[in-house]
Amino acid sequence: MSFLYPLGLLGLLGVPVLIIIYIIKNKHTEQTVASTYLWTLSEKFLKRRNPISKLAGIISLILQILLVIAISLTIAHPVFTVSDSCNEYCFILDATGSMNIESENGSRLENGKKEISKIIEESGDGSLYSLIVVGNGTNIIYEKTSDKEKAIFELNEQKCAYTDQGFGDAIKEAQLFFNDNSSVLTYLVTDTEYKTHNNIEIINVAETKKNFAISDVTYTLSNGKLNVFGNAISYTSDEGLTIELYIDGEDEPSATIDTLEVKKGVKKEFELSYLTNDFNNFKVNIKNSDSLPLDNENVIYNVKSENAYEALIVSDNPFFFKTVIESVSNARVDILMPNGKDTIDVPSGYGLYILDTAAPTTLPSDGAVWFVNQTKNTQNSGFTPQSEIILEKGDTLSLTSSSSSFVKKLIRDMSGKNIYIKSYIKCGFYGNFNTLLSYKGNPVVFTGSNTHGNREVIFSLDIHKSDFAMLPDFVILIRNLLEYSFPAVIEDVFYYGGDKAQVNVIPNCESIRVTSPMNNTTYLSTNSEVAEFTLDEVGVYEITAIISGAPRTYHIYSAMPEAERSPVNTAEEISLYGEAGNDKLDGIYDKLIIFFVLLAVIFTADWMVYCYEKYQLR
Amino acid sequence: MKSNLINEEFLAQVEMLQSLIKNNVGGMFGGNHQSKTYGSSCEFADYRDYIPGDDVTKIDWNAFARFDKLYQKLFLDERQMHTKIYIDASRSMEYSNLDKAECALKLAATIAYISLNEMDKVSIYAIRDKKVHTIINGMVGKDAYISNIGKLNEVEFSGDCYISDAIMPESVGYGDGLSVIISDFLTDNNYENAINYLNDKRRDVLCIQLLSKEEINPLIRGKVHFFDSENVSKAYRKNINRDIINAYRKAVEYATGRLRDLCASIGASYILACAEDDIADIFFGKMIDMGVLK
Repeated sequence: MSFLYPLGLLGLLGVPVLIIIYIIKNKHTEQTVASTYLWTLSEKFLKRRNPISKLAGIISLILQILLVIAISLTIAHPVFTVSDSCNEYCFILDATGSMNIESENGSRLENGKKEISKIIEESGDGSLYSLIVVGNGTNIIYEKTSDKEKAIFELNEQKCAYTDQGFGDAIKEAQLFFNDNSSVLTYLVTDTEYKTHNNIEIINVAETKKNFAISDVTYTLSNGKLNVFGNAISYTSDEGLTIELYIDGEDEPSATIDTLEVKKGVKKEFELSYLTNDFNNFKVNIKNSDSLPLDNENVIYNVKSENAYEALIVSDNPFFFKTVIESVSNARVDILMPNGKDTIDVPSGYGLYILDTAAPTTLPSDGAVWFVNQTKNTQNSGFTPQSEIILEKGDTLSLTSSSSSFVKKLIRDMSGKNIYIKSYIKCGFYGNFNTLLSYKGNPVVFTGSNTHGNREVIFSLDIHKSDFAMLPDFVILIRNLLEYSFPAVIEDVFYYGGDKAQVNVIPNCESIRVTSPMNNTTYLSTNSEVAEFTLDEVGVYEITAIISGAPRTYHIYSAMPEAERSPVNTAEEISLYGEAGNDKLDGIYDKLIIFFVLLAVIFTADWMVYCYEKYQLR
Repeated sequence: MKSNLINEEFLAQVEMLQSLIKNNVGGMFGGNHQSKTYGSSCEFADYRDYIPGDDVTKIDWNAFARFDKLYQKLFLDERQMHTKIYIDASRSMEYSNLDKAECALKLAATIAYISLNEMDKVSIYAIRDKKVHTIINGMVGKDAYISNIGKLNEVEFSGDCYISDAIMPESVGYGDGLSVIISDFLTDNNYENAINYLNDKRRDVLCIQLLSKEEINPLIRGKVHFFDSENVSKAYRKNINRDIINAYRKAVEYATGRLRDLCASIGASYILACAEDDIADIFFGKMIDMGVLK
């Protein structure tokens, strides 16, 4: 026996103190009486008493001493060693997506937790517990702890992931525990059936319930018609499924397949159509309810609409830019006509400013800026128009021959031929620019960044005095420059749980906030060009990027991994290598409840004795 | 004794009482009590044959007329009784409070007064250790009472009390009156012999057992160490609880019953009195109830 708090035994010093007080307090009262004859005579009439009753006089003292001893022991918290009564346990808990499947008794994960809790509770005090959770990666939650309460508490804190994760890493960790102690009892709590398992006890929490899923959703949008394609599957039985299509979050389905006959385990294609020119998102779902609703729907967002922006064209003749921009992007274009003024106040709030001829009084700071045919200097623009060069006769521009991949990307698909000009504006630079088109070494179309950090494109020519705007290269260049000016924040809008989603960190992006389907919020680093985060939930993620102080919101959908959709999984083998031992650990017995009960009993007995002596005796 | 034991008002009440002596008495002196022997009182007792020399005035001439034979009428004689009062003067009668001692002396004074009122002779003795100490000897008449009764104030209560050892060697008289023993009788010492001895001497015996209220029904509880006032070597150390109190009550019953039964067996009178009781109550209540007084 040992004590957790040996200082508590100092309370035993109260015993002699109690005895001394008792002796002092219970001294016989000396008194002289007329005659002791009657008292002495009374001895003859005293009933023969039980020897135990002789203790009656000091029963109160005995009880109080027991009380002091019990209190001291309670404080000292004795711990008794019970040899060979405990085991070491290693639990591997499957917390992957399929463990979300519900049954009458809760999800598979909850049932798994209950099984582990039961083993922990029934094990002897002093047993050691390790918990490895396989969900979003493989995590050792605790290692060889003997604290049952902590073990169960931490176990109950575990949440199910929505990802597909193998047990390889977990088995490696369990193997290390097994190598340390070959008598460790290893349990794998999962919904997978294993044909062979050595040194691992499988606790299968799978229950075969109705489960169907939707997958492989794609779409086409052409000729004012949205066609949605996909597959439906039922894992457990033949089913007649109702498939619904919801456009842009509408409450009522835009299209429905009332009954899609699906054979067990066989994917069945479906197609839904809806007349529309555009959409932001659509949702396809199976109306029938099953044990795992998470895989019954897919949400698809329109990448273009997610990356939509607004452009302002300041020009008295915006036709070319407006036409091309609207044709190659889904930007909303506003027009501001300067009516021949040299300078103009430009309103803010646009993603792209195209300043044709008229110079802004102040350089826009919240978007990309394209300068066209500028003859006046704009502060902080990074370049200075010098003078207009008029050619004697029309001549062609030269496409840059730069080997830079960045520049190559900007001029991709361009032929660079037959772009004639009659004049251009010679410019000086005080920033870094990349020339795309030049005339005899003088840059005519070049890109760079202004002092606000926004991307800038300079067309140092009057496109109305050139046939450039009439050429396919112009459309291609504008497309490339739009991509350059507005790099898409998100390029993919559909992922599977466990995937890593990518967010492009565009210029002037101050922060990126990600809100998960379960409203967990994280902020991504904006120090690199691309920010990544793991999709560990199923559903719609909302990504909010603050760009030049203005928030822009994007959405992506994380679907249940296919491997986690099936309610019944089978695998070949899972094993720990080595010869299992049968050694047990020494357990402990440190229940304080017995002392508390003892304290209560002794205290009650002492109180009864006190009351008897005080009130009943007379 | 410090105060006047008997006040005039009390004596006036007591004077109204008549001492009732149940048995025959035979004393040397005439008095208000009928003797067992034939004497000169007016109360007819019997006839006997006339013997020459007898008093001719007591011949029953009516009987001579009927039977033609002389019969002498006999009358009960009335003799003076000698009342002897023995007071237990041991320390146990006085210790802790004076109730028992005071009560004993008052009882003795009252009985003495009543006896004197009956024209009897009264002697009062104190028994201390194994001796009888005479306090008042042969007191006759109220004048002697007034002048002698104050001696009771001088009685010293100390030591032990051996009633038999004290009384039996003494001259107790023979058939001449009442012997009164006033004591708590709380002793292992023999007192039965004395009572039997007095009875054998054809004296009426009245035993008055005086106990204090605390002795009859003790209220003390808890751990006590009692010392005997008469003998410090006698001690009693106990935790007084309900069982012991019950045993004590049985002991009281035994102690009083022992004396009561003895008295009943020899025709003696017995009274158990509580020292805290009023003297008048003892006389007008218990003594009349027991037939000692009428």
